[in-house]
Amino acid sequence: MKKITKEVLTDAANRLLFTMSDEQYAKLEDEFKILIKQMEKIGEISDLDRYEPMTFPFDCTTTFMREDVPEEPLPREVALKNAGSKQDEQIKLPKVVL
Amino acid sequence: MNYLDLSIRELHEALLAKKVTPLELTEEALKRAHENKDNAFEFIDDEGAIAFAKTLTEPEENNPLWGIPYVAKDNFSTKGIPTTASSDILKGYVPIYDATVIEKLSQAKAILIGKTTLDELAMGGSGTTGHLGKTYNPYDPEHKRQIGGSSCGSAVSVAAGIVPFALGSDTGDSVRKPASYGGLVGFKPTWGRISRYGLFPFAPSLDHVAYFTRDVYSSAVLLDVLAGRDNHDSTSSNRPIECYEEDLDKPVAGWKVAVIKQILDSISNEEIKNHFIHSIECLKEAGITVDFVDFDNKLLESLYATYMVISCAEATSNDANLDGIKFGPFKEGKTYQEVMFNARNEGFSELIKRRFVIGSYCLMSENQEELFLRAQRNRAKIVEKTNAILKDYDFIYVPAAPSVAPSFDSASDRLSDEYLIADNHLALGNFAGLPSITLPLFLENGLPVGINFMGRAFEEKKLFQMANAFEKLSGLKDLSVNNKKEGNL
Repeated sequence: MKKITKEVLTDAANRLLFTMSDEQYAKLEDEFKILIKQMEKIGEISDLDRYEPMTFPFDCTTTFMREDVPEEPLPREVALKNAGSKQDEQIKLPKVVL
Repeated sequence: MNYLDLSIRELHEALLAKKVTPLELTEEALKRAHENKDNAFEFIDDEGAIAFAKTLTEPEENNPLWGIPYVAKDNFSTKGIPTTASSDILKGYVPIYDATVIEKLSQAKAILIGKTTLDELAMGGSGTTGHLGKTYNPYDPEHKRQIGGSSCGSAVSVAAGIVPFALGSDTGDSVRKPASYGGLVGFKPTWGRISRYGLFPFAPSLDHVAYFTRDVYSSAVLLDVLAGRDNHDSTSSNRPIECYEEDLDKPVAGWKVAVIKQILDSISNEEIKNHFIHSIECLKEAGITVDFVDFDNKLLESLYATYMVISCAEATSNDANLDGIKFGPFKEGKTYQEVMFNARNEGFSELIKRRFVIGSYCLMSENQEELFLRAQRNRAKIVEKTNAILKDYDFIYVPAAPSVAPSFDSASDRLSDEYLIADNHLALGNFAGLPSITLPLFLENGLPVGINFMGRAFEEKKLFQMANAFEKLSGLKDLSVNNKKEGNL
């Protein structure tokens, strides 16, 4: 398991596209100290190798294709209603290729 | 007491007899919502609710929700009504569609009067982490106690008699635990029984639409309306829905109930244990077999960590779409990454950031097998054990919480069994996707304490029947701050 350091936590936060203050990282490190002890409780459980990782309580029930019925698409002005940056009926962002 | 303190059945009768109109009910509900001081609301829709109520003039005999006001947690998408999930990352967001449950209630002509506050993005259990701050327990006028979370505002709305029912969501216990602290009936169905389309996801393998009422009949009638397959939610079940209230009064003698011994043992409050043991005696007198069964203590102690790992990991992934571009406050930046960074950095509170980092840590390639996949395997083992008990018994019966509503300054030993087991065992129902209902047991110094029944998958009808029998034993039907009772247990 990757050792918990401020660098590891900072890297994780940056990959998640936010940052935290030094005080907040310290608080998170403290939280991890307890959390790791709690996680060790899972480590104490025997014979977990015989179980498949459970992703849902039951098998998902949708195993068919729906009827191919034409539907009205979302009108553009409605789709863009909540976007904070718009231009010419499109979402406007900084240039990706300069 | 007035009409709003009645159950759905009694309200329906009053509406049919035209003793009260939907408009009068709505005006009173809005008045109570505005007067409430427990910090329960994100948005009160005076205009929309009054306009809809005015259209309801001819009562519909076979529609039990006709003209009845309700509220919804602010993580349900509501067309034209601001929806923030109590997070600044969604400040100003006005959805362009209704969640399926909102649409169904609208078709049933129930009247949405407002959106209730919650722990930010439904990730919390205290009712203190939303962007409006603490939500207070209406049973404590001094405002020192929690109502619990994350569905805190919805719980307040029903406990304070603002509305007879409220929508919430339940990923670990977010309806069933506040129900215990608020003297309410808190119900979540089988995973897949109610469509989650339009419910902002937290951890989809655990998320359920759930709700609060003050009696079992209301809870059963609501499932009639809300249950069913929805092609917008591929995880919703194709199983036919039932008439969930038709067998409520049928006998329950002969049924078998299992009490998990280790859950009861992990509770230190002797008064709660004594009342619970007394309730077992009463169930036995009613002809129900009640046995104590064992559940590996180590497995129960691992429940909380398993929940944390799975839910934080799923949340980290799900909430990647919150970037301030398509919706939510847009923040300027030199690059599109900087735009997203600035929106997320300002939009998420510290608690949410910590949860996301925990989730991300569990998903790191070096940790994935040891943490995330191991938690998922452990979940399978926990579920296997839970379902094994339910092969021999009709229900699992346990106290819903180890205490009355905690005060805001209380602290738990987070490595104790009381915390790891007694405070978190309701997640068993989310891991296994089983129907589960909390009901009030008694009041300790004026503060409610609840119990919980959990049944087999898709056996909601039977669960309601059991819950109804319990409600008669407890004598706490229709409990609210406006209708305080002693109870029999």
